[in-house]
Amino acid sequence: MSGLVEGEAVAPPAAPLQAPNDQAIPAAPAKADPKDAKPVEDGASKKLSGAELKKQKQLEKQAKRAQAKAAAPAATQQSGPPKEQKQKEQKQSQKKDEARPLPIRRRPSQSNAVPQQHAKRDSKRDQKNLGLFFGHLYSQPRQHSMVGASKDVHPAILALGLQYSSYVICGSTARMVAMLLAFKAVIESYQTPVGTSLARHLTNHHLSPQIDYLRGCRPLSISMGNAIRWLKDLIIKIDPSTPEAEAKRDLVEEIDMFIRERVTAAQKLIRDQAATKILPGDVILTYASSSIVEQTFLQAHKAGVPFTVVVVDSKPLFEGKTLARKLANQGITVRYYLITGASHAVKDASKVFLGAHAMMSNGRLYSRVGTALVSMLARSHSLPVLVLCESVKFTEKVALDSIVGNEVAPADEILSEAERASLLPLEPHLPTTHPSKNKSDNDKSTAEDAKSGPLDVLKWVEGSENLHHLQVLYDVTPAEYINMVITEYGSLPPSSVPVVHRLSTNT
Amino acid sequence: MAQGPVQLAPGLISFLKSLKTTPADPSVEHLISLLKRRQIRNSRPCAIATTALMLRVVGEFKGRDAAKLVERIRQVGRRLTAAQPREVVVGNIVRRVLGLVREVLDDNTGGDSHTGSDAGHHTPVHHDSMTRPTLSSSISTFSPLRHAAAEPMDASMASDMSDSSELNRRPPLLTSHTSYAPATSAPLVNSLFGLFSQPDDSNASTPTGAASPDGKSAHSLNLERLADLSRSTNIDLKSEVMDGIRELQDELEQSDEQIAGVALEHIHSNEIILTHTASTTVQKFLLSAAKKRKFTVVHAETYPHDNTATHGILLTGRKRETRLDEDDDPWKPLTAAGIPVYVIPDSHVFAIMSRVNKVILATHTVLANGGLVAAAGAHMIAKAAKEHQTPVVVLSGVYKLSPVYPFDIDELIEYGDAGRVVPYEDGEFVDKVDVEHPLYDYVPADLVDLYITNLGGHAPSYLYRIVADHYRTEDITL
Repeated sequence: MSGLVEGEAVAPPAAPLQAPNDQAIPAAPAKADPKDAKPVEDGASKKLSGAELKKQKQLEKQAKRAQAKAAAPAATQQSGPPKEQKQKEQKQSQKKDEARPLPIRRRPSQSNAVPQQHAKRDSKRDQKNLGLFFGHLYSQPRQHSMVGASKDVHPAILALGLQYSSYVICGSTARMVAMLLAFKAVIESYQTPVGTSLARHLTNHHLSPQIDYLRGCRPLSISMGNAIRWLKDLIIKIDPSTPEAEAKRDLVEEIDMFIRERVTAAQKLIRDQAATKILPGDVILTYASSSIVEQTFLQAHKAGVPFTVVVVDSKPLFEGKTLARKLANQGITVRYYLITGASHAVKDASKVFLGAHAMMSNGRLYSRVGTALVSMLARSHSLPVLVLCESVKFTEKVALDSIVGNEVAPADEILSEAERASLLPLEPHLPTTHPSKNKSDNDKSTAEDAKSGPLDVLKWVEGSENLHHLQVLYDVTPAEYINMVITEYGSLPPSSVPVVHRLSTNT
Repeated sequence: MAQGPVQLAPGLISFLKSLKTTPADPSVEHLISLLKRRQIRNSRPCAIATTALMLRVVGEFKGRDAAKLVERIRQVGRRLTAAQPREVVVGNIVRRVLGLVREVLDDNTGGDSHTGSDAGHHTPVHHDSMTRPTLSSSISTFSPLRHAAAEPMDASMASDMSDSSELNRRPPLLTSHTSYAPATSAPLVNSLFGLFSQPDDSNASTPTGAASPDGKSAHSLNLERLADLSRSTNIDLKSEVMDGIRELQDELEQSDEQIAGVALEHIHSNEIILTHTASTTVQKFLLSAAKKRKFTVVHAETYPHDNTATHGILLTGRKRETRLDEDDDPWKPLTAAGIPVYVIPDSHVFAIMSRVNKVILATHTVLANGGLVAAAGAHMIAKAAKEHQTPVVVLSGVYKLSPVYPFDIDELIEYGDAGRVVPYEDGEFVDKVDVEHPLYDYVPADLVDLYITNLGGHAPSYLYRIVADHYRTEDITL
């Protein structure tokens, strides 16, 4: 997949580059080969063979050296490697190229990167992270800007996509609802072109680019997939004879209804039921943040049940902090741990409430990474583990481990701004072979070096060839750690998930 | 250039430097304040500092009175451990030094004419039951009653309880000259092993049951005997003990290398190994394996308390705190040895575990029951490994092995700065929410598959035996 993209991207940029890069052109495809082979191999066998490893390492080293040189403006005139590097960048496909001037990520850890560096980092990351574990997940570069989006994409969707990619809208229910609301806007402003019918054109030609754009911003959540399937189904079933205005009104109404039934009402049912599980004096442990868990806590608190909440949180997004803040503002006693302290947090807890990203058909819970750890610890302390999940998030997919299907998070965000700053004093100790070290030796006077900021730390990480940072967003909790799933259909054991899924999709 | 301010910062290095010029008593004070202020922390620096201090204390000790020396070491040890009870290693080192003194005495009073140099070789590491005089052993020591009293109770508690009654009941005669030790609260030696290997721990004439463990009276009695013995036999106690302490220092220095030496026996090629925290022991172990084999390391970063050191060690091969310490012994980071390292946040442990072949953990302290206290996150890693049937290997120098029994686990867990979890700038949050930041985890013995110490590999169930080899029962309560 990625191979294809690379393959076709290599050819066009080669043309503008003139004569001296004769050797660079053959070099590039040769380079691409092992890399193409790699994801496949990762999927199949556990490890690369020694020879291949060596080969790949050599290539990486080459690339890195090239990169180091390319980074120095003075060196750009050199033939060979820098050119190669340029190609690499362009290989990232047109979109990426255009993404360069507008890095709109607004994660707290993200500093205001110089755009050029940003793009370089992206290209670099893609090569490096075709790694041992989640190599198969890196096939699609993430889109972080609205530049390059197809012109068909509706402004509401454009805005939404950015909110997705910057994690402003986060959580599978929230993302689904936001998507449906944006689709409402899309449908309202939709005009069926002459010669086609709404049922045919809207799904395939108008909604698809919107969905593709959203997928490019962040992989679709299970609930979004479910909702999209539902919506397409609905549109296809529209009688072609219906006048367009009426059809559009019907669709919008149906969407509202869907949100009301499957989300709002479902959440109310779930929280009513779950709140009864909170008894006076309980210490409820929860991981990260889930809107439905939050509602349950607030409901129980309103009912006057005295209980304590332990929020366990972890790195990629620190969602639990928001939950803890909200609950504390409502007057609930909250304790806050990070995942490293989870084994201590579990000790005092009496119940565990978890939100879900999705419930798999084999009863496993697909949720924020770390959930599996918390439920494992809870189980070893014999605590009941309750999952609160609307049936919209049920899926017929199955999963055994967290590796096959997952979503990568930007790896450079492992190091927050503060952490990078605290690593800065290590600079003199970087190994002398280190590319970034060489670079700074070479051109001390360049502007890039003058401000040795926290960004440099990221460069070290990229520079050291065997060091990879790895971050994903979800993990899969085995069904045996889960005691109960509370849905709007009632409370069930995880083994009943496929049944409920069938129920909810058939009706 | 950057080294100027660093050298001035109080810590292990500044302490060792000042130790050369400062007499013992102020040095003790100095170390106590450093420990209290957490300017020396973690097992290894604590161990090094304590050994150096002990060397100084013994070196400045005037007179030939063994009892006074023991009392002096004890007193220093008590103060040090009181200053930072959770750095169990400090107590361990003090106990080992005490053991050294007793050993020297043993050897010299054992009837044979041991020369000083000869006795000096009996470091705790090597001493085995054979070198001890095998004299009267008594079955009475192992009576169930005594056993019960000795084992499950915290030693200090036991002595409090038994103090008064014991005084009267203790038989006035301690006939055997090796029986100066009234078999104090001994958590582990009271087994069948003890029958043969540690006869000198038992009190020959102690009647059953009546002898509850330890007590001040017993102590003073012992000390008198010790004094007698040392006065009668003319030995160079001090220099022998100092030799022993130096060997202890050597052991501290070499333990990492010794552990790393067996690395190839435990890591096969193409393995995926998961570890966490920045531990020099683990890094050296992996590095030594990396010389011969290719494998992959997955490194959990141990956020928030050790992540800087973790990233530092992976980038540069050293943690910040040991910067000067390691300067004479530079070693490359693992990545430079051609080992791919994947840094993951701690929450990913379960997700990754299905691909991991082996978990290698560093430790803060190993306890007598085979459990360990390690950096926070260790418990969930070990547990996740257990769930995936992945073997868990713990690397630990013998100096981290402690005779402490984890009856109250919470007592051993240190809590750190909550500001590392949620910065204090977020005042509203910090105000309303209890932010907790445990630094250590207790990992029960059943989650560990193998311990590798500088003596070799051991099953967790065997650790009590190594503890018994290294600490004298009478020293367990400082």
